[in-house]
Amino acid sequence: MSAQDTTGTILVNHWQRGVPVYREPVITRTLLFFAALAALGLGLAVVRFFSPLGPLSGMNDAYAWGIWKTFNVMTLTALGSGPLAVGMAAWVFNRQKLHVIMRTALVTGFLFYATGLLALGFDVGRAWNFWHVLLPWHWNTHSAMLEVAVCMPLYCAVFLAFENLPLVLERLYYTGGDATRATLRGAAPFLRRIYPFVITGAYVLPLMHQSSLGGLLLLAGDKIHPLWQTPFLPLLYLMAAGVAGLGFVTFVLLIACLRYARPLDLGDLGELGNLLSWVCFGFLAVRFGDLAWRGQLGAAFAFDKMSVLFLVETALILVPAVMLRSRAARETPRTLIHMATLACLGGLCYRFVPTTVAFNPGRHASYFPALPEVLMTLGYLALGVAAFGLAVKYFAVLPAETEEWNYMFRRVRRGRPAAA
Amino acid sequence: MNTGITRRQALLGIVGVGGTVAAAVAAPAAASEHPAHPEAPPGAVAMLYDSTICTGCKACMVACSEANGLPPDTSLSAGLWHMPLDLNAKTKNIIKLYQEPQGPGFAFVKRQCMHCLDPACVTGCPFGALEKNQWGAVTWTGSRCIGCRYCEVACPFEVPKFEWDQWNPKIVKCEFCFDQRLKQNQEPACTAVCPTGAVVFGTRMDLLAKAKERIAASPSKYFENRVYGEHEAGGTQVLYLSSVPFDKIGLPKLGSTSLGHYATKVTSVIYKWLSGPILVAGLLGALIKRNWNRHEAERPEHERKTGFPEQL
Repeated sequence: MSAQDTTGTILVNHWQRGVPVYREPVITRTLLFFAALAALGLGLAVVRFFSPLGPLSGMNDAYAWGIWKTFNVMTLTALGSGPLAVGMAAWVFNRQKLHVIMRTALVTGFLFYATGLLALGFDVGRAWNFWHVLLPWHWNTHSAMLEVAVCMPLYCAVFLAFENLPLVLERLYYTGGDATRATLRGAAPFLRRIYPFVITGAYVLPLMHQSSLGGLLLLAGDKIHPLWQTPFLPLLYLMAAGVAGLGFVTFVLLIACLRYARPLDLGDLGELGNLLSWVCFGFLAVRFGDLAWRGQLGAAFAFDKMSVLFLVETALILVPAVMLRSRAARETPRTLIHMATLACLGGLCYRFVPTTVAFNPGRHASYFPALPEVLMTLGYLALGVAAFGLAVKYFAVLPAETEEWNYMFRRVRRGRPAAA
Repeated sequence: MNTGITRRQALLGIVGVGGTVAAAVAAPAAASEHPAHPEAPPGAVAMLYDSTICTGCKACMVACSEANGLPPDTSLSAGLWHMPLDLNAKTKNIIKLYQEPQGPGFAFVKRQCMHCLDPACVTGCPFGALEKNQWGAVTWTGSRCIGCRYCEVACPFEVPKFEWDQWNPKIVKCEFCFDQRLKQNQEPACTAVCPTGAVVFGTRMDLLAKAKERIAASPSKYFENRVYGEHEAGGTQVLYLSSVPFDKIGLPKLGSTSLGHYATKVTSVIYKWLSGPILVAGLLGALIKRNWNRHEAERPEHERKTGFPEQL
């Protein structure tokens, strides 16, 4: 098959398994662009390690958290919650057909978490004291920050990494020699035995820290506008992770399949759209229920600056919720990608606004990220994009039909597909 | 395909039920750790600052810098003298002037850490760098601080400051002269040096009574006839009397519930002894294992049909 055969003709297909992208050059201009941006950001991060925070950022004592925390960590890990959202559907609620999508979710999720944690490492002022995390008797268990500090690195480095391990081992198996194959064949039953137990942790932990990210904002109290400050922040942050996570997996699948001329499986994508719609409705139900309970519905429709922001954010989630109820809409790739994009933006908006626009410490202070700060944020993001571009070519990430499965793992050195 | 309950699922179920029981037992205990309206422990020290007595001599600022070894903030005085605009990384204590926009009225205000009874900074600090120490002083231990600046986000009084220009930045805030003077049975430098008695040191109980006596003695003198800090954010160990509205001299309008109570009333129940996570793990684990078993049962058939090994 090739792009010419499929574009515009046969869109319905049946994704069976992850298959590496082959017959495509690895080094492309796009990759070089993102790699350069990542190198710039990481270079600045190194500078940041030897420099105080002040000269490289726009943060101040009133706005003590800048975009590294509020965007790279608190916002972008919502996009990285695909493994949680899709995994819950696939493994907990037994939506069998979504298993084939898991790898795309896992790789993107891992990259968002890893780059977010990288951002966090260069954001904190005294990173060298982080070793206290290893001593539970030094933990302040009342702190949502502690929960995030323990749970997020643990999830990314252990559970998410474990879920991504089969991709790596599979590549080693098909590209390795007989000894490697024998070892891996021996290890496989053990991995399968512990797999269901380990992935249980991979769902419990993000439920904890994605809600704790919202829990962080509770202590800020009146500094956060009443449309956003609510005891339901932890639940809403978690549900926004569901919205953005499902939205982003849909988005990235469509984008990547269009880019690499992969046939789409509209049954699977439609299922994602269906789930996305329900999660959006669930989010909105809690959001409006909370506003009604706290008597803030008037403020929500006051049409002042904050009200308009709230309405935009709500519309971004309401439109996909309603539109994706129609089967025809969710099985039309163009509509699906538009709606997934809106849901991502809505989820991101909900996660970003209370930490920035709706955060008012009540003094004549303001915050706007400084140029190095922005470049570092973009650098971490670009690192993720570049790594994803490489991952889909070296590992069996993107879903495809069975017929495409030709053991086409490219070798690193030769740069072209290796025949089995 | 085995759809019955396996030993493992039963075990997980038991763990889950145990978690629920633990949560139920723990709930009342957890709620008491951050009560909505905390009570000052006996022996809690305090400062009472009376804005109507303060002459704005700033002797307390000099004494504070000296006692804490802080460098002068000379950025606005061409390098000549200590002239901060607000609390900052070189200023733990400041006297500020409020001038009525129209009219002759003015008032001074002394700002420093309020030493809350249930401080938001202490609740939020992940590794306990900030803690409620002996006599209720809120102190900072550098070796525990990762520089996350959550204390700055949490503090309703905007007190903790971060050294943005340092490679190994400290959190700078009034610590009630805990190490410098309290431990040596001395009162804080600012109250010791105050020539007019505008700021005095004592136990919270005594100073609250003293403040209320002053209000009773001059019923029309003080704003709202009340002591700021008696109930604000659950109560603080620095108390204020003022003749001008508190929010005009920079003391924010706050509810009487402690932020720690607001932020932890739900999570302290869910996370007590990790009962909530264990319960969720039990439930999810049982479902995942059931679906995994189904998946594994169908695997050989699926592999035979496609001719390729199953992917995880």
